[in-house]
Formats: sequence, structure tokens, C-alpha cells
Amino acid sequence: MKVISGVLGFGFALALGGVAAAEGSAVVTADWVADNLKNPKVKVFEVSVDPGVYERGHVPGAVNIRWHSELVDPVKRDIASRESLQKLLSAAGVDKDTTIVLYGDNNNWFAAWGAWVLETYGLGDRVKLLDGGRKVWEAKGLPLDTATPEAGNGSVELTPLKAAVRARLGDVLKVAEGDKGSVLLDIRSPDEFSGKIFAPEGSKELTIRAGHVPGAKNVPWSKAVNADGTLKPKEELKKLYAEAGVDGSKPVIVYCRIGERSSHTWFVLSKVLGYDVKNYDGSWTEYGNSVGVPVANLSGTVWQGK
Amino acid sequence: MSGVRPPKRRAPAPVGPLMSASSITSPARAGIALLVFGGLAVAAYGLGQTPGAIGQRQSFALLAGAAFGIVLQRGRFCFLCNLRDLLRDGDARGVLAILVALAAGTIGYAAVFGAWLPNPFGGRLPPTAHVGPVGPALALAAFVFGVGMAASGSCLSAHLYRLGEGSPTSPFAVLGAVAGFVLGFLTWNPIYLALTVETPSVWLPAHLGYPVWLVATLAVLGALAWLAQTRAKPATPSVPHPGVAHAVFVERWPPAIAGLLVGAIATLSYLRVAPLGVTAEIGSAARTAASAAGWLPDTLFGLDGLRGCATVVKETLLSENGLFVLGLVAASFAAALVSGRFRPAAPTGGQIVRGLVGGALMGWGAMTALGCTVGVLLSGIHAGALSGWIFLMFVVLGVVAADALGRRLRPIQAPG
Repeated sequence: MKVISGVLGFGFALALGGVAAAEGSAVVTADWVADNLKNPKVKVFEVSVDPGVYERGHVPGAVNIRWHSELVDPVKRDIASRESLQKLLSAAGVDKDTTIVLYGDNNNWFAAWGAWVLETYGLGDRVKLLDGGRKVWEAKGLPLDTATPEAGNGSVELTPLKAAVRARLGDVLKVAEGDKGSVLLDIRSPDEFSGKIFAPEGSKELTIRAGHVPGAKNVPWSKAVNADGTLKPKEELKKLYAEAGVDGSKPVIVYCRIGERSSHTWFVLSKVLGYDVKNYDGSWTEYGNSVGVPVANLSGTVWQGK
Repeated sequence: MSGVRPPKRRAPAPVGPLMSASSITSPARAGIALLVFGGLAVAAYGLGQTPGAIGQRQSFALLAGAAFGIVLQRGRFCFLCNLRDLLRDGDARGVLAILVALAAGTIGYAAVFGAWLPNPFGGRLPPTAHVGPVGPALALAAFVFGVGMAASGSCLSAHLYRLGEGSPTSPFAVLGAVAGFVLGFLTWNPIYLALTVETPSVWLPAHLGYPVWLVATLAVLGALAWLAQTRAKPATPSVPHPGVAHAVFVERWPPAIAGLLVGAIATLSYLRVAPLGVTAEIGSAARTAASAAGWLPDTLFGLDGLRGCATVVKETLLSENGLFVLGLVAASFAAALVSGRFRPAAPTGGQIVRGLVGGALMGWGAMTALGCTVGVLLSGIHAGALSGWIFLMFVVLGVVAADALGRRLRPIQAPG
């Protein structure tokens, strides 16, 4: 009996050791995830933009999160309620001490959005991104599975919504009107930033004003990733944002068009560089449609209903 | 698509009912067929070299299209002619092939659903399955599609494999279909607002559960097969021809084999890429062209959110569905060459008109129904979509009505 518990204990210690290896970093490598697929203290979730991607093959044991309905409130424009997220994570077998790994298609856009949503409910320290997401997993030729995993109910508990990582219109407006207390970072493409275009081709969520929030800096989110989809090294990231005037000396507010891509930059600044960052999830679709707010439109594009 | 045609036309000599049975194929024909299959293999290999999952999906789509093209051509798997064979000549083989394909694919889909969506009652639809909205627009579109089939002599998928056989009507039917799609886009918004927006997308497993859905589907298909058999005249015993090669390369494949293969290709295609469908690429090409020409409304309400053969404004030269269709046409051409069914002929005026008009009706129907006999009927019934069954019912009605009208107008039916 003692021998058995000794063996079990050893295995458990190994498992914990595995988690500990990831403790210091907000991202984990594909190899780390592959080594921890059987680790009971690690749960993997896929958050992909496109439906049908998860079902045709996902990281073995990963649970699907549908961002259209499970990370947002389906009726009002808001993030998902604490109750529904609690239910989702518990049903996936997430315990109080489980490490949550998120990954997805499109350079982890929505996986990063998921990480931000979980941060607002107090789970931030235990949430990691699989560096490079699906792209790296597939490129490495690591195995994919089509089965849907089952789990017993986990003991996870979400805190009430924390406002510390979320900026609202009022916070952004303060900076736009001259408050120097924080710095605004617009992570959209240069053409959206300058006001040449209202939104990228094919976007359904539109604003009737083009441009950006006055005073905002522009660093497109994609500058933070390598060609293979992984994040650039920490020093390079630090330099990239410092050159745009975001060096962590002041709190940062990031925004994009609908608040999801900016989660990617929120993750880089907050989790990798350790800055004080809020994500403005209303983003340009709220700000650019608001009445009476100041707008910087470098291109002078005029809305003509088209 | 015309690129797969051989550079020179053959002399119209062998227009007999079948190539002489003694020679399976000439060396020249076999050589061209081998080149086409070799080209498909090289293209599939090349696509598969792209790192990541995209290249593998494209490669699979091309090969699945080729397999589908071979089975359609060798099995003469054509919705209209199979139906007419039964109704006019009492030959039930083709209809049985369709019913076997529906049954086999349903079993395959059920196996995939079990892994992807273990609980069908959770209020979700299986990802990307063709579960379309069920309403009067679907019934009307399917009926019009049926009329178009009867007028042009084939459904769209059969026109695609007949392109490979050198059919004189098919190129005009495909052209007509592109025009029909544009008409469909133009009428989409009023039809959507009046008839579609509040219609439900009914997924039978969500109401019946997987076991009951599966058993009920197989029972209905079995009953239809029994019904078809009762209408069939006793088949004239075919003269057994010596040799396996002849059975594989020249004779029409038996219905059970063709049906099982279609069911298997449908299942594997759903598992790896998307449900079978042949109109997405045609529709996307029409939408891109018409949109660029400024003919289309800025917004097609709800279209991009509905399930079926989705048409999108094109960003790439060939989508996965485009590769699928390309593989279909190329492989059916090669298979037709080998079996002696490749008989190009100059089109007559009647064939051009029937192709264009029938194609346009089918294009409008396929756009409005979000797919054709493959995308809505086959892939829909496979997936447990009520829309598949509704399409089946009304497309048959359309064919029967058009044929009845045709007989009245013209006592002797011209061959399609």
C-alpha cells in the first residue's frame, strides 16, 4: 500500500512539476502542451473563430468554446455572465487549481479574448496561451483528435467581475479629452487608424465615423507575432511598444474595432511584459458611433452612407 | 473548366450506342486518361506540401472531387435520368443507387455526429452540416430546380460530369446556371424578408435523438426502395460479359456499389473538409462577378449566416469547393474516355436553348435553396435536415410537372 501511494505521489509530483515549469510564463509551447495532455491538472480549450475547425480535429482532450455564444452575452453587448462561464468551465472539469490552456485559429485572436474574459473573472493567473495556437500545432504535425471529451464537474469558482482590466467609454473619453494619466493604444491597421477606411473589407460591424481616438498610438497587433504565429521575444516586444510610446510607465488602454483583436495586444502587454493594461471591449464600434466625442481623422474621410 | 477538354475534337464516328465491347479503349484514349489522373495526383501532392492543415484540406478536396467524378460517371449517378429511367422505362437501378447513397451517407454522418456532438438536444447544430431553413422559399426553389433539370436534361452535378463526357448541352447549362445565380442574388432580399427570415432550420436528431432519427431515415428510404421496385419492370437479364476489366471500365457500375461509394465519399468529405456540394464555387464566381459589375445589392440579408452551399465573394482563385469541382470534371472526363462515353458533339440550337434556360432555372433554384440535388438533397438528408427531404419532394414534383407539360406540348420527347 505504501509502495503504491509512494508511486502515486511520485507521479503526482511529476505532474505538478510539469505545471510548475509553465508557472513563470503566460504562454506555453506546443511541446509543453503535448507533454501535459494526460496531466489531470491541465485543461486545454480551443477558441477558434471559424466553426467546424475544432470538430475536424483538435488538440486531444481539448474542449470547444464557441465565442459567438459562450464568451459573450448573446442578447446585450457584454461579456458572458459569471454564471454561464462558471457552468462551462465546471462542466469541462476545471478545478480550483487547474491550469487552463487556451489556443485557437487566426493567431490566437479569440483565445486571447478568452484569456481576457477569464481574467475579468479572476482566473488570470492560471490561464496560459498555447504559443502560436493551431497554426504551430498543425505545422509541427502534432496529433489531432475528433472526439469530444467528457469530464466530471470541476470545483472552479469565478470571482465577481473585476473592472481592473476593462476600460469603458468614459475611461477612454477622459484620455481623449486630455487626461495624461494613461496612454491609449490602437491596434488596428494603419488605414483604419488614419481613417482611410471605416473597417476592413467584409466587416459587418461598422461605424459612421472613421479615424481614431485623439492621442492614441498605433501599433497593429500583428507586429507582435513571428511568421510562424508565435510571439516575438520579450525584449523585441518591449522595444516595439516603447518606440510607439508605450513603455509601461503609465497604465495602458488598448482597443480595436470590436474588442477581440485588442485582447491579443492586451495579453502581450499585460501578461508577457507585465504592464498595467485595460482592454476597451466597446472599441471603435462603440466610440466611433458615439455622439459628441472627439475624433482624430487624419484622412478626412466623410461618411456617405456607403 | 474548358481547360480539361482535349485539344482536338475526335471525329464523330463512334456515335453508336456503346463502343464496341471488344476494345475497352484505344491506347490514345487510355494515354490521355492516364495523363489526367497523373496530373490530378501531382496537383494533390503539390497542394498537400503546404505546411499546416490548409494544404491538406485542399489536397483532400481535389481527390474527393476526382473520386466523386469517377463514381458519378461510372455509376451514371444522375438524379434526373435515374428518376426518368424509373418513371418512363421502369428501370429502378438508378433510383436504388440514390437511395443506397442516402442510406450509406446517413449512417456515416451518424457516426461522425456521435463524435462531434454527442448530445443532439443541446440546441446546437452540427458544425457546417447543411441544415437549411425550411419554408415556402425552399419548396418553390426546389420545384423550379426540378423544372430546370427536366428542361436541360440533367441536374447540375450531372452536367458537371457530362462536361467531362463532352456533352453539347452541359456547357450551356453551366453558363445558364451562373446567370441563374445572379438572378437568385437579385431576388434574394425580398424573398428572404418575406419567406425565409423566420423559418426554422429543422434538424431531425434534435427532435428524435440519433437512434430514432437513424432508424426512421433508413425505414423511409427502405420504403421508397420498395416502392421503386414495385414500379419497376422485370429487368432484362443483362448478358454477362467476361472479364473484370470490362465490368470496371466499361459497364455501368451496379447501383449498390455506386450508392455505397457516394455515401462513403460524402461521409469522408464531411469529416475532413465540408459536406458534399457542387454549387458553392459556381455561385461564388457568379456573386464575385456580379458584385464587381455593381449589379448586386450591397447586402444580401442573412445569406452568409445560413447553412448550405455558401457563396462568398471570392478572395482566392480556387476555394476548396472549386478544387472539388475541378477534380470532378477532370476525373469524369478521364473515366469517360476509358469507358468510351466521351463523345463530344457540336450543339444544336435546341440544345443551346434548353441548356441556357434549364441552367438558369437551376441556378436560381440552387441559389434560393442554398444548394442543389447534392448540397441540399444528398448532404441535407445525410445530415438529418428536414430541408433535404423537402427539396427531394419538390424537385421530384418539378420534374414530373415539367415532363407532363413537355408531353402535352410535344408528343415525342426529344432526348435530353
